[in-house]
Amino acid sequence: RARGRPQERGSPAGAAALWLLWLVSRAAARAACPPGDTGCRLLSVSDLFDRVIRHSGRIHAELEKHFPPRGNELGRPARKCHTSRMATPKGKELAQNLPREELTHLILKLLQAWKEPLSHFNQHIEHHQELSDDSLSKAKQISNMVHELKTGVEKVTEKMQSMGIISNSLNGMASSEAAGLSISNEANLMSDSDFIHCFRRDSNKVQSYLKILKCRIMPENSC
Amino acid sequence: MTQKFISSVPIILLLSLTTVCLFGQQFPGKPKITRCRSLEKDTFSCWWKPGPDGGLPTNYTLFYSKDSEETVYECPDYRTSGPNSCYFDKTYTNHRTTYNITVMATNEFGSNSSDPQYVDVTCIVQPDSPVDLSLEMTTSAGVTDLWAKWSPPPLAENSSNWHVYHYELRFKPEEEEKWETVSVGVQTQYKVMNLNAGLKYGVQVRCMLDCGEWSGWSPERQIQIPSGQSPPEKPTIIKCRSPEKETFTCWWKPGSDGGHPTNYTLLYSKEGEEQIYECPDYRTAGPNSCYFDKKHTSFWTIYNITVKATNKMGSNTSDPHYVDVTYIVQPDAPVNVTLELKKPINRKPYLVLTWFPPPLADVRSGWLTLEYELRLKPEEGEEWETIFVGQQTQYKMFSLNPGKKYIVQIHCKPDHHGSWSEWSSEKYIQIPSDYRVKDMIVWIIVGVLSSLICLIMSWTMVLKGYRMIAFILPPVPGPKIKGIDTHLLETGKSEELLSALGCHGFPPTSDCEELLIEYLEVEDSEDQQLQQSHPSKNTRLASKETDSDSGRGSCDSPSLLPEKGRESRTLPSKLPSQDVREVHENNAGSGWETQCVASSEDRALPFNIAGTKSSTWPAANIHPSTFAYHSTVDAPKITLSTTNVNVAAVLVGNEEKHQSQYSTSETLCEENLEKQRAVEKMHSKNDQSTIQVNQNRLSEKSSFLNAKLMDYVEVHKIRQDEDAAVLLKHKENSGKIEKYTIPGTSKEYTKVSTVVDHNILVLMPDSRGQHTPVSQEPAKEMSQNLQQGQVEKNLSYCLPAPSECQREAGGSEYMDPSSFMPSFK
Repeated sequence: RARGRPQERGSPAGAAALWLLWLVSRAAARAACPPGDTGCRLLSVSDLFDRVIRHSGRIHAELEKHFPPRGNELGRPARKCHTSRMATPKGKELAQNLPREELTHLILKLLQAWKEPLSHFNQHIEHHQELSDDSLSKAKQISNMVHELKTGVEKVTEKMQSMGIISNSLNGMASSEAAGLSISNEANLMSDSDFIHCFRRDSNKVQSYLKILKCRIMPENSC
Repeated sequence: MTQKFISSVPIILLLSLTTVCLFGQQFPGKPKITRCRSLEKDTFSCWWKPGPDGGLPTNYTLFYSKDSEETVYECPDYRTSGPNSCYFDKTYTNHRTTYNITVMATNEFGSNSSDPQYVDVTCIVQPDSPVDLSLEMTTSAGVTDLWAKWSPPPLAENSSNWHVYHYELRFKPEEEEKWETVSVGVQTQYKVMNLNAGLKYGVQVRCMLDCGEWSGWSPERQIQIPSGQSPPEKPTIIKCRSPEKETFTCWWKPGSDGGHPTNYTLLYSKEGEEQIYECPDYRTAGPNSCYFDKKHTSFWTIYNITVKATNKMGSNTSDPHYVDVTYIVQPDAPVNVTLELKKPINRKPYLVLTWFPPPLADVRSGWLTLEYELRLKPEEGEEWETIFVGQQTQYKMFSLNPGKKYIVQIHCKPDHHGSWSEWSSEKYIQIPSDYRVKDMIVWIIVGVLSSLICLIMSWTMVLKGYRMIAFILPPVPGPKIKGIDTHLLETGKSEELLSALGCHGFPPTSDCEELLIEYLEVEDSEDQQLQQSHPSKNTRLASKETDSDSGRGSCDSPSLLPEKGRESRTLPSKLPSQDVREVHENNAGSGWETQCVASSEDRALPFNIAGTKSSTWPAANIHPSTFAYHSTVDAPKITLSTTNVNVAAVLVGNEEKHQSQYSTSETLCEENLEKQRAVEKMHSKNDQSTIQVNQNRLSEKSSFLNAKLMDYVEVHKIRQDEDAAVLLKHKENSGKIEKYTIPGTSKEYTKVSTVVDHNILVLMPDSRGQHTPVSQEPAKEMSQNLQQGQVEKNLSYCLPAPSECQREAGGSEYMDPSSFMPSFK
């Protein structure tokens, strides 16, 4: 009996060690996401997507709260958003049929197109007689949020590219930036209400595309 | 009187007669037949108007005769057509016959007949109006005609339908006054021609039978004659809605079509495009709607939509309607709402709501995200409680009232733009009532009961007042003398007072047994002096005493008494055999040792008292002796606790020995006494003072004490560890209480006048007993001796406390006051 005791003690200890090893390896796998584990990979991208979608939702909510659409807004004539020249899918199926890369590119392009006009908008507060000071401070806040959103989408894009979910060929990015510059001048000439209207529309677009993209890449994840 | 009455009658008659004659109302006035009418030629009725009735009840009779006959008939039916009428039913109605009708009014003075009325039934018919008039327009070759149609008046049942009515029709434009009447003939329809377009006409018809009367006009019917030349009115776009964010539909409301078939066309243009498109699908969404399928639906694009109504006269276009499909998304209501009541063990049941998004909404694509809101209320409730759920499709509800039936509804909305859907159909769930209802009943009962108890309590409190308070908070007993008339006391007539107490005369005898003494603890001023002189020792004594119970209480308490008795029984058996010191040590810590030895310093008085009582009234000394026994039991403990001779104890012991000779107390006490004696004997350090005291005592036996004055002493009951106090109440100032120093003063309070409240002993100075200085001196000496002998801790006496011995002896609880008479001889 006395002889048997070390053996008895030895086996649980060994099991515990094994279990610990397994636990550590699991934790490591979870943290590092080895290249073979697609589920792990997708999870993190999904998290990133959720984050950017939530962020875009916040932008949208802020807009609705502080710059609610006016009753006659839709009926105003001769409005033209500076981004309206961009060929964007205007329906669910169109968006779904667009290649992932293009959709990603489109999102980035839209955000990029608003970067300069938004900063211009905030730099020339004195020109905005239509808006109250409170609204202007909110505009600044929203502008920052858009910038953050763009950074976030870039992160997701990088992640997806690194994981091979989308190809690296985000061609035409540079050219679109040039185009963005030209159209942003157009934006600077818009009236405040048009500006807000267009921005609201595009932010809604961005969010919709993000959702579509996410559900295309990870259809099982809360879609 | 009767004659007078009789004579007055003709006068009255005459008067009334003349009055009647004067006003000419003796006969009824002439009635007049107003009209006779037949509704349908089968029956007819006649009505008349009565003339003045002459102030008397008048009967009216209608007579008629037919032109072919001579016979005169009376009216067959006065009732059917109402008062003052006569109804001729079918059997009495003959066609083509002229009726000669007269009405006769009759009263008691006479009668009067109306003029005769000749009636041809055919020609008195007045039918009811025609019914069911309807107007219809017909347009042929650009000419609008109006057709009016109606039905003959309904006839009473049983009447044959052979009547032929003639009709008349009249019409006029709404705004004009003058009717245009047209004779129609026997047809029941008529085509009105040459009506002015764009006007509203009113039409009526009436009818007549042969040579009868026209009926009344029928109710007016109106019709708008279309102008025929105008284009349709402007249609209105009501709303556009997209149920799933993929397609959308717009509805419009047509205006007036101007009397021509009108076509509706929906036209739209999209933002940024010049081209105008027509609605792709008028059918799918029903009449007056346009359905835009997926192909035709663009988001983030503003549609400019108009509806054009066109007829041959022209067209009219609605106001433009601008639509961004993103904003018009209104999903259908959620479906498959299920309510499930979960009952986890040991926890409250909760409600789980699950539902599904509307089937049209494709939420899995990410294109449309729905948020949900649910509302619920108890079935009988008025207000809904609304809960925003967010994007999840289930919800758990915990805080529902048991036993209620809830109605739940859910609706949904796109996450940013768009509007809420309709509420889903109502779902009901019955939350089962749980134990809490029972619990509540229990609590209610408890509450009611407790409040009842409180009520009773307060009621008794109010009723009993002081008694209840006294029961809860016993009063601090104050010095009181039972049976003493305070008034007498105040006036200072002590003799009267005493006589009132029934203790008059000296020597007091035991017949004053009703004077109850339970405890008596005595203290004098010298005690205080002693205390002052030996404060440390007193305190030491106090510290030594472990019995925290009050001496009185412990003596008093019936529960304690047996115990004490037991102890006192056991003690004696030990004492003789054991070493004194051991005894002392054994008893040093005992709690009850001090119970009756409250004042360690008080020596002189107790001794004196003891001596007196034993010597003077030996016969009455039974109970006092028990006190003494008690004290002797106690005394040695204290005595032995000191290294010095316990003089008092020995003394008392001696005393008791003497007393025991007269006592009838039980052997227990005697045992104590024996023990005491043994202790006494064993003690080699017996002080001479003992002998002295003994001698004193012996000498006192034959002597009486005569108090010079009658004063009162109140012996305060005192806690065992405190000093007994004998308080003197001077009669001069009865309210004032003095500490009476027994050895120092010339007053001796030897007689117990009364016992108050079971614990206050009233002493009075014995006026007869001579107080000799001799008696004082030894006492003083003794006290000094005692002091010198350092027996301050020795509680030399135990006077009044009812000892267990006393109790056990079964003797009277009354004490002979005479036993407390000090004798200092």
